Amino acid sequence: MQWQKYILAFIITAAIFGTAFYITSRLDQARIADIRATQEAVSIDILSTETQFDLLGSLSCEVVSQNPVLSDELNSLASRLAVAEQNLGSTNEAVVSLKKQYSLLEIKDYLLMQELSQKCKSLKPAYILYFYSNTGDCEDCDRQGQVLTYLRQTYPGLRVYAFDYHLELAALTTLERLHKIDAQKGLPAIVINNRAPVYGFKTLQDMEKLMPELKSLSTSTPPTSDSI
Amino acid sequence: MDIGAIGVYSSIFLALYLEVFLLITFFERRPAAKSATLPKRYPSVAILVPCWNKAATLGGTVESLLAMDYPKDKLSIVIIDDGSTDGTFEAAQKFAENPQVKIFQKKNEGSKYSALNFGIAHSDSELVGCLDADSFVEKDALVEIVKKFEEDQETYAVAPSMKVNKPRNLLEFMQATEYTFGIFYKKMFDNLAAISVLPGPFSIYRRSLFDKVGLFRKAHHTEDMEMAFRMHAHGLKIVNAHTAIVHTNVPTTVGALVRQRTRWSRGFLENSKDYSYMYLNTKFGNFGMLILPVGLLGFMLALYVAGYMLYKIGTMAATFILDFFATGVPVHAPTQLNLEWYYLNTSVMTFVIVAVLGMTLVAIAIGSRIAETKLGLKSYVSYFMLFGLVAPLWLARAAYDTITNNERGWLT
Repeated sequence: MQWQKYILAFIITAAIFGTAFYITSRLDQARIADIRATQEAVSIDILSTETQFDLLGSLSCEVVSQNPVLSDELNSLASRLAVAEQNLGSTNEAVVSLKKQYSLLEIKDYLLMQELSQKCKSLKPAYILYFYSNTGDCEDCDRQGQVLTYLRQTYPGLRVYAFDYHLELAALTTLERLHKIDAQKGLPAIVINNRAPVYGFKTLQDMEKLMPELKSLSTSTPPTSDSI
Repeated sequence: MDIGAIGVYSSIFLALYLEVFLLITFFERRPAAKSATLPKRYPSVAILVPCWNKAATLGGTVESLLAMDYPKDKLSIVIIDDGSTDGTFEAAQKFAENPQVKIFQKKNEGSKYSALNFGIAHSDSELVGCLDADSFVEKDALVEIVKKFEEDQETYAVAPSMKVNKPRNLLEFMQATEYTFGIFYKKMFDNLAAISVLPGPFSIYRRSLFDKVGLFRKAHHTEDMEMAFRMHAHGLKIVNAHTAIVHTNVPTTVGALVRQRTRWSRGFLENSKDYSYMYLNTKFGNFGMLILPVGLLGFMLALYVAGYMLYKIGTMAATFILDFFATGVPVHAPTQLNLEWYYLNTSVMTFVIVAVLGMTLVAIAIGSRIAETKLGLKSYVSYFMLFGLVAPLWLARAAYDTITNNERGWLT
């Protein structure tokens, strides 16, 4: 028996596994660095939003309507955040921090849109505030997310702001209080264009009924349930 | 981490360990290239051709044997029609006038071993071989095997390298790659003195072997595997003549393939039970310490991985369907495909699977070089796409049959 060979094969195999763990760990670290870079970008974006708001506040509504505010950054951040959450876990410190920054950015964007819609009556903003939870107390949040993602993809003019209800963030708590969101009534909770919150899972068809404004929005893909 | 994934990681570790072990073995002793030297002596050889309903291919098999570069007075061919109903005996009559060929007809006894023992009893050569009636030998195959017997008088059996004969459909191309992989495995098992099966297509034995260990047994319809197990139990040497090439027809349908492999897999499980004392027993060298335990563990883990994958895919499909009906969201393609590294799957599982696939490719490439065979893209693609899908079918069937003691017969 060549015991040395048995041991050598084990060491090489373990080394291959070790290398795989090492590469994965390095890539996760690179992701964290990427998240930190994104956090910095978020900070700049927040500042930029405020500045943009100040600038746009004194500009004509025509300019406003042509100016894409922060939707691209928001969508990019959302997808990066989803990947980071999947790879590193939702309790990872960097992920939670990014999520807070992201939520702040969303609130800022939301406020900006509110102000703009008041100033420019020709602007008819269509937005949804979506409060979800991933701590096990919202069975339908995944499905609700699918419906809203589809709506956002179908109607590029629709702004969907998703918030983790349990995220410990003062600004978010204030937003929840302002809109009288009560998790006891059952998440997910949805606020459409500043109307009273609706609770529980809503299908695509329910959403289209709840939001007649969608009909006036242009679509990027063939319309939804009516044409199915 | 997903608890179920631990089993998958264990399977990958085992597969990687075996591949690393065999690659070390390869670098320790690389297979020699074919030499032009001829045997000093040509012993008498009888090739038994047991056949059951092989009228279509028997002629080609016998012609390939007669065409071999071997003295005619030293080579005899014993055709044993094992109760065929398709005119095999009539097809054999084509060779009735050939002095090298003897033709017998016997009643089928439900398994191949009886035909082999019949042939051994009706021949008296120094070496006795077998060639399934759907396989075809290259001209120098016997000479290459005889040289192995000549190298070491303690060698009692020699197994050849097997290639798939003229693959046509995807399943055959898949098996062509698998057989090439098998050529590497067999040679490395030879280096480890741990060959686990003496396949029907052209394994050759010293006649004295049967005096030492007895004739073939039914052995759960895997008499070729059981003979190898028995030889290890008696400490008798089996080697591989990698330069002796045999081309064999392989199943062309999934059903036929599953039936064939169920028999092989069931045979492995049953023979493992019969020879359980060899497991993890240093007395039986690498055969007892590596090949048998890894084979059995691999069998179980492969089934586990297949079950786990089935569960995962089933859950995903069920979720997708339920979500489709619950949400009302139509099926649609993703709006954008992120190719940035950030979005790539860089889990540990991804890297270790890549390592296993990489080593598998290396092993197949070595197998190709050993047997001087060239595999096309179609063979590689069909192997990597299909094998993992069909193999669990026969593993599960064999496990079920073994647990329930279900008797299926030779080809059912």
